Amino acid sequence: MNVRNSSLGRKLRRSAVTVVATLTAVTLAACGGGADEATKADGPVTIKVWAWYPSFQGVVDLFNKTHTDIKIEWTNAGAGQDQYTKLQTALKAGKGAPDVAMLELQEIPTFQLTKHLVDLGKYGANDVKSNYVDWAWKQVSTGDSVYAIPVDAGPMALLYREDIFQKYGLTVPATWDEYKAQAEKLKSASGGKSFITDFGASDGGFLTGLQWQAGAKPYTYDIADPGTISVAVNNAETKKVLTYWEGMVNAGLADTTAYGTTDFYNGLASGKYATYIAAGWGPGYLQSVAKTTSGKWRAAPLPQWTAGADAQGDWGGSSFAVTDQTKHPEQAATVAKEIFGATNTDAWKIGIDEAYLFPTATPILESDAFMKKEYEFFGGQKVNEVFVPAYNAIGEFAWSPFNSYNFNQLTTGLGQAIEKKTSWTAAIDTAQANIAQYATQQGFKVQ
Amino acid sequence: MTEVQTKSAAAAPAAAGPAPAPANKRRHWREAATGWLFVLPFAVLLVAFLLLPMGYALKLSLYRSTLVEGEVFAFLDNYQQAFDDPLVREGVVRVLLFGLVQTPLMIGIALVAALLIDGATSRFSRVFRLAAFVPYAVPVVIGTLMWGFLYSKETGPLSFDFLSSGVVLGSLGNIVTWQWAGYNMIVLYAALQGLPKEVYESARIDGAGAVQIALRIKTPMIASALILATLFTIMGTLQFFTEPLILQPLNPGAITQHYTPNLYAFHQAFSFQQYNYSAAISFLLGAVVFVGSYIFLFATRKRSALR
Amino acid sequence: MKASRGSVAAHVVMGLMALYFLLPFWWLLVAATKDNDGLFGSAPLWFADFHLIDNLKLVFTQENGIYLTWLRNSAMYAVLSGIGATIVSALAGYAFAKLRFPGRGALFALLLGLIMVPATALVLPTYLLMAQLDLVDTIWAVILPSLLNPFGVYLLRVYTHDSIPDEMLEAARIDGAGEFRVFRSVALPAMRPALVTVLLFTMVASWNNFFLPLVMLSDNQLYPLTVGLRTWYMSATIGNGGAALFNVIVAGSLVAIVPLIAAFLLLQRHWRGGLTVGAVK
Repeated sequence: MNVRNSSLGRKLRRSAVTVVATLTAVTLAACGGGADEATKADGPVTIKVWAWYPSFQGVVDLFNKTHTDIKIEWTNAGAGQDQYTKLQTALKAGKGAPDVAMLELQEIPTFQLTKHLVDLGKYGANDVKSNYVDWAWKQVSTGDSVYAIPVDAGPMALLYREDIFQKYGLTVPATWDEYKAQAEKLKSASGGKSFITDFGASDGGFLTGLQWQAGAKPYTYDIADPGTISVAVNNAETKKVLTYWEGMVNAGLADTTAYGTTDFYNGLASGKYATYIAAGWGPGYLQSVAKTTSGKWRAAPLPQWTAGADAQGDWGGSSFAVTDQTKHPEQAATVAKEIFGATNTDAWKIGIDEAYLFPTATPILESDAFMKKEYEFFGGQKVNEVFVPAYNAIGEFAWSPFNSYNFNQLTTGLGQAIEKKTSWTAAIDTAQANIAQYATQQGFKVQ
Repeated sequence: MTEVQTKSAAAAPAAAGPAPAPANKRRHWREAATGWLFVLPFAVLLVAFLLLPMGYALKLSLYRSTLVEGEVFAFLDNYQQAFDDPLVREGVVRVLLFGLVQTPLMIGIALVAALLIDGATSRFSRVFRLAAFVPYAVPVVIGTLMWGFLYSKETGPLSFDFLSSGVVLGSLGNIVTWQWAGYNMIVLYAALQGLPKEVYESARIDGAGAVQIALRIKTPMIASALILATLFTIMGTLQFFTEPLILQPLNPGAITQHYTPNLYAFHQAFSFQQYNYSAAISFLLGAVVFVGSYIFLFATRKRSALR
Repeated sequence: MKASRGSVAAHVVMGLMALYFLLPFWWLLVAATKDNDGLFGSAPLWFADFHLIDNLKLVFTQENGIYLTWLRNSAMYAVLSGIGATIVSALAGYAFAKLRFPGRGALFALLLGLIMVPATALVLPTYLLMAQLDLVDTIWAVILPSLLNPFGVYLLRVYTHDSIPDEMLEAARIDGAGEFRVFRSVALPAMRPALVTVLLFTMVASWNNFFLPLVMLSDNQLYPLTVGLRTWYMSATIGNGGAALFNVIVAGSLVAIVPLIAAFLLLQRHWRGGLTVGAVK
């Protein structure tokens, strides 16, 4: 926003300064605040980091212990949208942003559009490129420009309750058609008490992950050409996915409780849901919220639209980006690269065991500590043998540079369609119209 | 209260007393200077945190910024957009409906409770007074979190989905009632306590029942307190924000991001960076609340407390 | 009082209403003793496995004990805003009631009008102004706007006008006291009941404040309890691998409201005393 550059803005600001400054000068002086701390010539450089990973303190401590020249100061500025809101306003205000911020993969174009992310390609980011599979690296870069270093990802798989499957004679489905057949069988066998799963229409990442698997391309957008975008959120693949789930929900086969609510956790623990369509961070997460069902869960690959295919999608995942407010881009880049670096096995031990992250770096993924890890919660199954191949098979995907709006349109549209029992495909058509209008309003050339 | 009124009656003539003697001219200058000195901090705060932000909001609302092109002067475009925006309209209609139902309901409950504790003198009525007032001490965020748990279909005590779109407005209204009814009850109760007892003693001797006295005599006599409580409730309902914000994750399909105008403005600004459009909505909302309360006060000015 | 039929009915109504008002507190007390499994899977209004001590430990150790920082912040904001707003309001209320100065009428009319301006509509522009002054994400961003309390000024003006006779002030002036001394040693003591009320109300308002700190603060070391607890709630409900801290949130909520309820019970009489001033006219 360029209010600050207009003359009226300047005047207003000046009068505001005078008034409030009078008021605060005394108090500020009395408390000794407000003064810039002089940057010391020697001693470690302080790098401020915003992130909301669980158990992150241990990772920070580890970094600070192994680096004498850099000291990380970590702040949890809120999870997801809360942090993005703060980051956007701080970036807009020109001050208050951290040096390094955790960004989910879908947010990178949004922050890159306003040119607030430092190109890490200039600070040796391309040296670590070989540690990441192609699709993941493309999420954070264009050409030699790198806007973030990937941390974790969310390849999708089907977690199911083996005990319930056995009890009702269900088989593990390989396709979505089979999945629906199992759902019908479960519904009649359980007298309508159990659902095959809970469809979390409130989660934009989940909705997108399912579309991603089906090969949908809602946006065509290249960070290198920021003025142009094509919007096709009501594409045929998306409609196929939505029609399928609309049928599941309307037939009473899938529940629609919002993810993350106590009802949802209750359903996972009580056996109301026989499966949980999960991302790579799901196994650890499930284990923390449904302790009482330990040993009863198993993991299987995500059902396919075409029998025998290996199409995969991603739900969630994050990265570390460096903001343009940093005074130490070099050190900030080091933090982004190394804090969850591809060789940083100690940090990843915390990341995997306590924060339930699914690493993006191949050396960590393929280490025995991860790949061969047996999960007691899954009856000793090595669940990552399901997730890692899924991760490697994920295709490329482009996000919009206004993802908050995109997610909001998806979740509000579907949420209301579910509440009011109206057509889901009509809802996605409305979302398409709204998003196209929004993009035009924002000055994009919409194709 | 009777005591205060007597004093006020005594003070009034003194204030309107004869013009001061010329010898006191210096004293008057001193008094004026002290007066300004005393109101200065307040006046500065008023300018800094009310007038300036208002002016700034107005200014912002006349511009338009886009992600790609930056800022341009747009005059009333944002207001035009707000008037045409079905989501704004939906939110406005919702808070109006909410205010229309919520205000009489809550003030009614508060009035009944106040009349009850005013009439009863048992120890229980004192316990009740506290019980009704305590929710006011709970931060809205925490009160809403608690009700959010209680509203849960599977894990709440009533096994009913209080957050489905058909009933969610009522459920939110219940949180507001729970939180504020006791506060309003105390305001009204304090007013009742200030009434001269003789008036209804004589009514009682004339054979009026307790209910009759409560409705026909006590209630009209606390009209000004009722008006004030109603006014603050209306203002509160039009600005409805925290409760829907907190409960949103529990059923985003029913509590949308445009559920109330305030929530919509918040998300426009902080989720979508539409500061200018948000300022226009905020400004409109502020104007509506301001004008609405002024009309209300004007219409009831004979009885209202503000003077 | 004789136990008439009407009185019985009145007590039944009061009993039912009391149940309604207290139900959430009972739930909170019970829920604070449960772990997540208990919260998701046991009868909500009765005890299951007892984990209160574990939960409290978690509350105070989560993220290096940040809850305690939030608690301290809330208390600090409440005390500073409360005292500051009361001082500002006392000075202005006294001046409006007892001192003649040019512009008094206009300023007071302005004040009456501005009582009605919805505070939430101003948070966003205030944020943007504060951002330009470098005050965003400091304690001042929360405290300074809270110092403005038009209703408090109004209340104190009414109270001062009605309860302090001009003769009293005049007598002090004749004795040679300066204006400030008249205010401090004559008016202020007489205003005490109303001052306590304004103080208590601004403190509660500040303790419960949510929107302003939500917008102004990003450093979680500066959060008050309300914003902090919501942060935990958001990461619990994000359903995205965030930690499901429901038991911590519930126990944290309990701890957060205990001091307030205690203060309410202890300071009962001040609430009623002061409310009368604003209500009856």
